[in-house]
Order: sequence, then C-alpha cells, then structure tokens
Amino acid sequence: MYRTVVNRILLTKNTGGGRRCLLRFPDLRTAVTSSRFSTTTEPQTSPNRPLNPADSSTSSSSTSFQTSSGAGDIPRQERKNPPAEYQGEQARVLQASLRHVLRLGWSEEAMIAGAKEVGISPSIVGSFPRKEAALVEFFMDDCLQRLIDRIDSGEELQDLIPSQRIYKLVRFRLEMQAPYISKWPQALSIQAHPLNVSTSFKQRAMLVDEIWHAAGDEASGLDWYVKRTVLGGVYSTTEIYMLTDSSPEFRDTWLFLDNRVKDAFDLKKTIQEATYLAEAVGAGMGSSLQGFVGKVIQR
Amino acid sequence: MALRLVTKNLSSRISPKLCSASLLHSHATSFGFKEVREEEKSQMVGKVFSNVASNYDLMNDFMSGGLHRLWKDRLVSKLSPFPGMKHLDVAGGTGDVAFRILESVNSIKRRALQDPLNDDLQEEIRIYVCDINPNMLDVGKNRALEKGLGEDKSLVWVQGDAEALSFEDNSMDGYTIAFGIRNVTHIEKVLSEAYRVLKRGGRFLCLELSHVDIPVFKELYDFYSFSVIPRLGEIVAGDRESYRYLVESIRRFPPQEKFASMIADAGFQKVEYENLVGGVVAIHSGLKI
Repeated sequence: MYRTVVNRILLTKNTGGGRRCLLRFPDLRTAVTSSRFSTTTEPQTSPNRPLNPADSSTSSSSTSFQTSSGAGDIPRQERKNPPAEYQGEQARVLQASLRHVLRLGWSEEAMIAGAKEVGISPSIVGSFPRKEAALVEFFMDDCLQRLIDRIDSGEELQDLIPSQRIYKLVRFRLEMQAPYISKWPQALSIQAHPLNVSTSFKQRAMLVDEIWHAAGDEASGLDWYVKRTVLGGVYSTTEIYMLTDSSPEFRDTWLFLDNRVKDAFDLKKTIQEATYLAEAVGAGMGSSLQGFVGKVIQR
Repeated sequence: MALRLVTKNLSSRISPKLCSASLLHSHATSFGFKEVREEEKSQMVGKVFSNVASNYDLMNDFMSGGLHRLWKDRLVSKLSPFPGMKHLDVAGGTGDVAFRILESVNSIKRRALQDPLNDDLQEEIRIYVCDINPNMLDVGKNRALEKGLGEDKSLVWVQGDAEALSFEDNSMDGYTIAFGIRNVTHIEKVLSEAYRVLKRGGRFLCLELSHVDIPVFKELYDFYSFSVIPRLGEIVAGDRESYRYLVESIRRFPPQEKFASMIADAGFQKVEYENLVGGVVAIHSGLKI
C-alpha cells in the first residue's frame, strides 16, 4: 500500500544506477507487500473510475512506472496496479503522525492526531491492518529513502575507505532516529512483535544491503551473507547502545560504532589471514606429502 | 439470524450467480424466494421485523450459538472507533453495535485519563442509530435504559430509511450496517447514501450473512438453515415464516466478490472483505477518500 509508493520510487532510482538493481533482491519487496493481503482479500476494483491526474502522488508514481518498466526485474502485479489515491492519503497521514510520536508514542493516538492535522477523518486509522506497526514501518522506509537520497547525492563518501564509509552510513541512518530516541524502545518492541517481525527483518535486510552497496561492495557467494550478517549485527548493537547513551550528541555511540566497524574489518582480515595460513599449511603439507610419496615410490 | 433494517430486497431477476447492477432496478423484487412487487416487499419485511422484534436477541443467540456477539465485536474492532467520532449505525435498531462502539471508546478514554498530556482524547463520541422499524428502535431504547445509558447524549435514536438518509453530506466518520443491507430493495442506493454522508477518510463497514463455499460445510450449513432454523423460529418465537424469510434472503444476497465490486462502484477505495466461519458471515469494508 503506502509502502508500494515508496518502493516504486526506490525502484526507479535503482534503474538509474544499473549496477545496483542487479544485486539488490527485488522479489523481497513483493514479498513485503503481498504478505499484507494474506488474510483479507482485496479485489482490485474501481476500473471505471479514472485516477485523478491532479493528484501529485499518483502522477509522480505513474511516471516512475513508465521509466522503470524497462528493468526486467520489477514484480508484475505492481506494474498492473498503480497506487490508488488512498495510498497517497495514508502516506500523508503517516507523515503527519510522525510529528506526534514524541508526545504520544508510536500509537494509534499519534495516528489519530496526524489524521486530524491533515484534515482527514481519523477513521482512516482503522484502514491500516496493523496500526502502529504501519507507522513504524513507514518511518523505516522513509529513513531508508532519505539515506538513499543522501548516498546518491553523495560527495561525502567519495574519498573514504570502505570501513569509513560503513561507519558514516550507519551513523547517518542512526542519526535519523535520534529525535525519537525516547520513544524508540517502543518502536523496537512493535517491530519485534511476532506479527511484524518478518517485515521489520526484511526492512533491516534492505537497509544493510543498501549500505554495503554504497560502500562499494560487489561480493557474491558466501561472502555476501557473511558481510550482511556482520553489518546487521553492528547496526543492531549500536542501535541498542544508543538507547542508553546519555553523552552529548551521542558521542559514546559513535565511538562504539567506530570500534565495532573496526572490529568487523579486523575480523575480515583475520579470516583472510586464516585462509592464507590454511593455504600455506596446505601447500606445505602437500609438498612434504608429495616428497614423501615420491620417496616411497622411488624405493 | 440477525436481520434488521426494513425496506425491500434485491430484485427478483438476480440470478444466484453474478449479474450486472443494472438488473437490480427491476420492479418485481424478492421476498425470500418468492417474487413480490417492490411496494409490497417493504411492508412484508416490516411485518417480519415487527413480529420478531421482541424475541430478536433470544433468537440471535439461539441460531448462531452466541457467535453473533463475536462477529459484532470483530466488526467494532475493525472499525477502531476513537473519541470525538461521529458514527452512523444503520439498521442497528437494537443497539448491539452502538453499545459496543460506546464501550470501546470509553475504555480508550479511561486509558487516556491516566495521561494528562493527552486531552484531545476526551471529546464526546456521538453515535446515531438509524432504523426504519420503530419496533426495533424501541427494543434498543429499552436496552439503553437497562444499561443505564438512557441519559447518555452519545446515543441518538433516529427512525429513517437507509436509502434516503436524513444526514448531511460529509458529516460522518464511520458507517456500519450489521445484518441489514440484505433487507433493502436497492443496495446501490444504500451504498451511495453511505458514501455521501461519510467524510474524507471515513469508513464503511458491513457485517452480513454471506455465502459458504467450503464443500461439506456448505451442505451442513444448508441443512441447518432450511431445516433447523425455521423450526427453531417456530418453537422459540412462534413464527416459522419470518425465519424462513431470513434464510432465503441470505441466499438471495450477492456473493462476497460481487458485493465488494458494488461497494467499489459506489466510489469506495481499499475495498476488502473478511470471511468469518467460512463465509457464514462476511465483513466488507471500504474507505472514502
């Protein structure tokens, strides 16, 4: 729903930077959106009513629609159904609700206040299947989008080595939730709810993936999984550390993050060294074995 | 089981399968499986409800095994009412849905009381209960008195026709119709009236007895409806015919998909439905933007 709007914008961006869209998993997004409809059936109707062309969200997404149709990896059903008007309205409500989160928490009340602010009947809150989870997920998507924008505009990242890039990107992302830090534990608990955990896990996977791409990683194979797991760990531990950090401007958090990223890259080196060592040992063993066998055969 | 709102029913020419909405404008209509003229139909349905009003709750419990309470709870939880809401419950003469909404909002308020920052949740809710049949409204009013809600300004009892509501455009946050839309003559008229009175962002929710498609369960359900319910009606309420009308009118009602597309045609977006108990009842919902 509202997320598909965001997704579609995401997808357009991807086609711009050809390399990226190959490595990202696009089917994951379909999984995210389609999982919504598991319990309720939604006949995609209203064929006889034209979409309002004046509506900015509709028109912008329909253009992205056309540009992205060239890329072969876009889920089919998304192409057929351009986002309906209500998705734009829901997104507006959620956007406005974020301003009330500090006061009211990640809650239905914040969403009601948000709907009142944009002049829509708060009844619309009932149309979100998992109310406060929708708000948290919208925020996660929004942050990811902002991060991508920043990466795309990014002069900041050019002269940095990978570990510094990772550090910087994770910091950008975590800084976005700094204003909500007093309410963030609540958001985490909503994300950890069994009904929501699959979506939040996917969102984190997407985030970590984005960061690795921005850091210039083109790995494939087993390494791909290792890298993402490690970065996921670094991100989550730092996120948790941040919750209890009372230092000015989260200085301790950034120090902690820096150390964790360094650890991770050390780990990578260690693994590499271990591989070299194993290879060397193997080679050594091999040659001595060869020599031994050779001697045996000579006799 | 729970039927309400009197007017008339669907046109007679509806084939049990899909049919185009234009056919609904015919002048003969159905009363259960019988065909009658439109004008007679509203009187006949009116008579049915006047007959059953006194035993209405008892029979609901008997026929659904108490399940209708859970279905109504589910309807209200899908609605997610909020303080300050203006809600219209059509065909809700006995107040079942209205009382539940009120209860749900009061519990939100009680929670909000503990949080002094949050004063915008203290607004009054207003629920308009609209029913065409005064006998059913009387049942609701009496129950409100029993519950000690007689003086409550949140509940407004209105006698009115769902096809021509007396409320202004864009005045309601929510619209529910529970076990009522089956009994009206022009479903599309009711839907377009619902669309008219709702505000932007307002939601339409409809709880209705619907169609079962699960093979063995369907046969059981049919046996139960045609053999058990009329007899039950005879024994408990002393009125076999009214309850035979009930089960027949359920079969006449458009199936879930068809009804969903009718809701969408009325202008609603995000039209969804949820089957409960395999389709014995379905909750349809739509959003007005």
